[in-house]
Amino acid sequence: MIRVFDVLLYSLLIACALAVIRTKDLLAAAIIFSTYSLIMCLVWQLRGAPDVAMTEAAVGAGVTTVLFLVTVSRTTRRER
Amino acid sequence: MRRVIALAVLILASVPLMYAVAQLPPIGSVQNPTYTHVVPRYLAEGHEEAGAENIVTAVILNYRGFDTDGEVTVIFTALMSVFAVLLMPRLADKKREEGLPAVPVSPVTYFVVRTLAPFIVMFAIANIAYGHAAPGGGFQGGTIIGALLIATSLVMGSERVGRLLPESIRPWLQPAAVLMFSIVGIAGMFLLGEYLSYPVHGPYVFLRTPFLTLIEIGIALGGAAIVASIFWTMEGSEG
Repeated sequence: MIRVFDVLLYSLLIACALAVIRTKDLLAAAIIFSTYSLIMCLVWQLRGAPDVAMTEAAVGAGVTTVLFLVTVSRTTRRER
Repeated sequence: MRRVIALAVLILASVPLMYAVAQLPPIGSVQNPTYTHVVPRYLAEGHEEAGAENIVTAVILNYRGFDTDGEVTVIFTALMSVFAVLLMPRLADKKREEGLPAVPVSPVTYFVVRTLAPFIVMFAIANIAYGHAAPGGGFQGGTIIGALLIATSLVMGSERVGRLLPESIRPWLQPAAVLMFSIVGIAGMFLLGEYLSYPVHGPYVFLRTPFLTLIEIGIALGGAAIVASIFWTMEGSEG
């Protein structure tokens, strides 16, 4: 059962990573990247690294997403 | 043509990498250097030697203390870089933006953030206080507080939240981790003869836990102040 969950998480990770590269909308890219961090946080936790999982949730999914959003709002939303 | 060259370079670069991967020891084998080098000692004696039950904390603050000292310096340098890029032109013309969010905040978001805020603060403080015994610690607790400051800034405006960290103490909070490492490191130098050495036995052994706690608190305060300051600086800068 945990194997199925592993495969699901890693597939989602790869899908998110590809989506971030492919999307031209930077706002969407920032949000997908935050999803990537959230999944990564679950992976850390499953791999027995709760310290890293906590940091990933706070910094990866939280702070960097906000900083990306601020940057998008200060510059432009479309990739050129 | 460029695609062909790119593909050729990729294949050429991947060959040595794949070769290196093939040479790696099998995953999970107990013979791996990761399990035989320093880990047995950390696991067997970390509690006694480093004075922290959470082995991650023992490694971060004690065995790999110099690494962490360098890391907090890097984080502080990142803040200084943000200041250098975004703040310097702004100081020149002294223009300040209104602290209120440009888009009106939904009452649901406002309520949820305001209601959850005290619990998040409690969680962060528990994280910092029990970092030596449980998962978490200064880094985690600090960034959680920093993220909370950002979240409350988003719904209440940076002006109101920024008052929590008055301009007079902000320059002391931002380098708190670096300062605390220097203080504890130099204290260790005077007591034991080496920078950042912790007393394991002898007359000063009672100082070990205070040293670890001081560094944890420094990392937490510095982390929170730096994360929030980067956001406030970026938000306040002209587009």
